[in-house]
Amino acid sequence: MKAFNTFLTTELKLSFRGIDMFIFAICMPVIILVLIGIINGNKVAFEGANYTFLEQSFGAISTIAICAGGLMGLPLVLAGYREQKILKRLKVTPISPILLLAVQLIIYMIYSIISLVLIFIVAKLFWNLNIKGNILQFLGAYFLVMLSMFSIGLMVGGIAKNSKSAGSIASILYFPMLIFSGATLPYEVMPGLMQKIVDLLPLTQGIKTLKASVLGLSIDNVIFPIILMILLFVVCSTISIKFFKWE
Amino acid sequence: MKNAIEVKQLTKSFGNHLVLDNINISVKNGEIFGLLGENGAGKSTLIDCILGTKKVDNGTVSLLDMNPIRERKKLFENIGVQFQETKYPDKILVYELCKETSSLYKKSLDYKELLRNFGLYEKMKTPISELSGGQKQKLFIVLALIPNPKVMFLDELTTGLDPKARREVWKALQNLREQGITIFLVSHYMDEVQKLCDKIAILKKGNICFYGTVKEAINQSPCENFEDTYLWYSGEEETNESI
Repeated sequence: MKAFNTFLTTELKLSFRGIDMFIFAICMPVIILVLIGIINGNKVAFEGANYTFLEQSFGAISTIAICAGGLMGLPLVLAGYREQKILKRLKVTPISPILLLAVQLIIYMIYSIISLVLIFIVAKLFWNLNIKGNILQFLGAYFLVMLSMFSIGLMVGGIAKNSKSAGSIASILYFPMLIFSGATLPYEVMPGLMQKIVDLLPLTQGIKTLKASVLGLSIDNVIFPIILMILLFVVCSTISIKFFKWE
Repeated sequence: MKNAIEVKQLTKSFGNHLVLDNINISVKNGEIFGLLGENGAGKSTLIDCILGTKKVDNGTVSLLDMNPIRERKKLFENIGVQFQETKYPDKILVYELCKETSSLYKKSLDYKELLRNFGLYEKMKTPISELSGGQKQKLFIVLALIPNPKVMFLDELTTGLDPKARREVWKALQNLREQGITIFLVSHYMDEVQKLCDKIAILKKGNICFYGTVKEAINQSPCENFEDTYLWYSGEEETNESI
């Protein structure tokens, strides 16, 4: 526990000293929220809907920080530590790789939660966001999305050859998911065929669950995404621990 | 337990290239052992194999009577390591790295005290990247000492240090020997090896071409001083002919 706490505080400080997560996980979601708010304001999502466009997008925006941390921050930090031989130095100490992975996981969890609180406050203050569904259900879905995205990141960071390949894999995962899964470009404005394609992205499924919880839609539609995300988490985290490479 | 480090018939190849061929080394408790050899002779690979950061193809390694891969967590409570290039996260401060390091061990020495002994106490809140070469090397000794180790591995510890700093490091190592710590070091400085090492091995293209004390090395060669001796053992054929 001593090692865990010390590593968490130190690595958190180091992460704050680097500016990129502040930009991508803290600022970017707020900017996108504000843009959507300014453009669509309190307009209803579609004719006859009992929720606004912004409310419809809130679930998606809440995942931007998760993507930044899980698909960019996490794999790059881990692969970088391996490439710089910091992991090799740790291998000749009694540390367990699980501790190291857990510390980084929690750091990006903290970023995501800060971002969630921040966008909630902004959306509530300026556009009177109204969560119609069950808030616990929303939080449950949020953590599920977080775990599944982070486990992808752990897997990439844990087994990528070097930070360059981790960077490429991270970009391949990050940008399409961020743009096409509804996190930045609203799913609703996409043409039908495109919706069918992006449905294959795990994040799209996660966002559907979140959206259902914000808007109070029926949970029947979201059993599949939940199973998918749990499965993803189990598979990716098992791979990342089993095939973890120090060097 | 007599031997802190015991390497038997160790063989290691990368692909078809044989890097280490039938290496046998035993280091007694409390000894300072020096591993010498040209760049590329296989020294760092040998250290990696002993520490378990690389797997051996054949042969056995035992450190403090433990297997470095199977009993990693237990073993490394008692081992201090300084790799040839010690790496640390960007922007980390001296005390932060020390604190992280000491948190890894069940029992550790007070890093503040160690920093004071090595003249680094004032630098506690300095980013490691801003330390001078000598200060960095001293910090890496401090890091290797934090677990209060029984065995230390030091790979080219004094490379890049000025003569004064080297002397200070020597003194520190001699103090450690008096405390009974076993030290396995790699060095390119023959004065240092001669002064510190109880026993040496000279590695040449993956084979040990000399194993014994510095004195024995000189006696068994046609040379008079140790640096010439070392070159005689480790040198290419042309050099041998010219001698």
